[in-house]
Amino acid sequence: MAAQAPAATQARARPRAGREPWLDWMVLPTLVVMAVVVGYPIVYTILLSVEDYNLLDFSPANFIGADNYTKLFSDPIFWQSLRNTAVYTFGSVGISALLGLALALLMENLGGARFRAIRALLLTPWAVPFVVVAFLFRYMYLQNGGVINALLLSSGLASAPVPWLNSASLALPAVMVANIWAMAPFFFLLLSAALSAIPNEVIESARVDRAGTWGMIWHIKLPFLRNPLLISSLLMVISNFNDFAKIWAMTQGGPGYSTSTLVVYVYRLAFENFEFGYASAIGVIWLMMLMVFAWFYMRALRMERR
Amino acid sequence: MSSPVQPPSARRFSPGRIAQWVAIGFALFWSLAPIYWMLSTSFKTELEATRLVPTLWPEAPTVANYVGLAGTSLPFVAFFVNTVVSCLVTAVVCVVIATPAAYALSRARFRLAGTVGYSILAFRMLPMVVVLAPLYLLLLNARLLDSGTGLVVGFTTFGLPFAVWMMKSFVDAVPIEIEEAARVDGYPRWQILLKVVVPLILPGILTTATFVFMEAWNNLIYPLTFITTMDKQTLPAALVLTFTGQFKTDWGGMMAAATITTLPLMIAFFAVQRSMVRGLTSGAVAGA
Repeated sequence: MAAQAPAATQARARPRAGREPWLDWMVLPTLVVMAVVVGYPIVYTILLSVEDYNLLDFSPANFIGADNYTKLFSDPIFWQSLRNTAVYTFGSVGISALLGLALALLMENLGGARFRAIRALLLTPWAVPFVVVAFLFRYMYLQNGGVINALLLSSGLASAPVPWLNSASLALPAVMVANIWAMAPFFFLLLSAALSAIPNEVIESARVDRAGTWGMIWHIKLPFLRNPLLISSLLMVISNFNDFAKIWAMTQGGPGYSTSTLVVYVYRLAFENFEFGYASAIGVIWLMMLMVFAWFYMRALRMERR
Repeated sequence: MSSPVQPPSARRFSPGRIAQWVAIGFALFWSLAPIYWMLSTSFKTELEATRLVPTLWPEAPTVANYVGLAGTSLPFVAFFVNTVVSCLVTAVVCVVIATPAAYALSRARFRLAGTVGYSILAFRMLPMVVVLAPLYLLLLNARLLDSGTGLVVGFTTFGLPFAVWMMKSFVDAVPIEIEEAARVDGYPRWQILLKVVVPLILPGILTTATFVFMEAWNNLIYPLTFITTMDKQTLPAALVLTFTGQFKTDWGGMMAAATITTLPLMIAFFAVQRSMVRGLTSGAVAGA
């Protein structure tokens, strides 16, 4: 890590060498704030995870070692939440990335003002607050009076109203559709920008070589989009791991635990049962999984800088 | 693809071109129909909003839902003010702290620059809920629970690392030669930052602030957890909390409240849309 950084900074011209104390000082406020509001809570989480801390319990918390962690491994709801998190995150990000990619390729040859106007319209869902996305889709999914069921019934595609959010098997896909609706514009935006950054000469020479539309996309454009796609996907994976608003406002993790992701489960544990100790143990495990992702993310970033 | 040198846009009515516009039309419908539905419903009466065969256009358009928001027992005006104030303060705090940090990380030669930069980025990836319980206890001990200040502290945990990285990409784009004249004249770093660099990256600062603002506006888990008095609640949390009571069947009222929650965010979004493309892509497309 340390060996990498100076190499990267030396690439830019440095007129004056030597230490400049002002530069060090300028990072200090950020580091102090981060240490208090992020660093301290992380250390505290690790400490809480080996205690039987319950906010409602007046007796002092006891050190219970790895008990919270052993409990976690035999907790079926933890495993279900983990699976839901994986499906929700990778499913939504994968489909959104594909939709965004398709749209970006589709819109590529539209020039100028027309492109900008359509792009602005296509980006609108991204500017809708998460909670509003949740309630809007919840309203459209209504079993009686929801517009989606009304359309399905009148077109004959369904013979009875579909209980989208009240069915254990349909609720997670239904929430994912709302999530994809809100997230796909992000990929569209980034990939459009990446497409326009491909040097003209590359496209021209491929044209001269009589590359067909698909050949052009597959052999010329996709390799250029690989890194932006990778990095934006990782960013979105991380933000989807954290997604609480959409799921909570649509289903509160139900029916049962069918849409409970780890965020929802930890929130329920900590702020409905006040089991801070156990909730923290899940947090620590989760932290470790995210570290693995962070590592991949850093690698992707570094690879791109070369 | 008969003539490969000719760009596809030259032929107006080829089958491929029609297919393209059909697909774009579908994408526009998919993106905008839900938003239209929200707006349309917000002007419907409670009864019309849940009719089994919905009406595309409100039969008797009414603004009663919007007027009703101001007149209910719930302090919707206070929710709105709380949200705007806490999100704005968060954006300002994050940008003020992050600007010098971003500048230093971009220009610095000190050995730890890379490590510090990446650890700030790593903070960004932390699951919010992991720090939720300890942050709650921290605010409890600092007597900041159930206050706007506590909310700003919470929002800052995620706004700040993001702001540092986004701003760094804007500072990186400023050629170092521009600072040279001022350096030769012996101005200290912080003056160069304020008088030379900040004016140049102002669009970037605004974009970053808007992003932090949007992120705070989207945050549900912190207000839900840290705020216990209804009067101090933010709009998104208030929507969730009141839905079980007031809006249980009143979807017209709900959609009016949702529209009000969306408007400020949408205005902010479209105000910075263009420089935002640059801000985001410089990080993801051109590399950090």
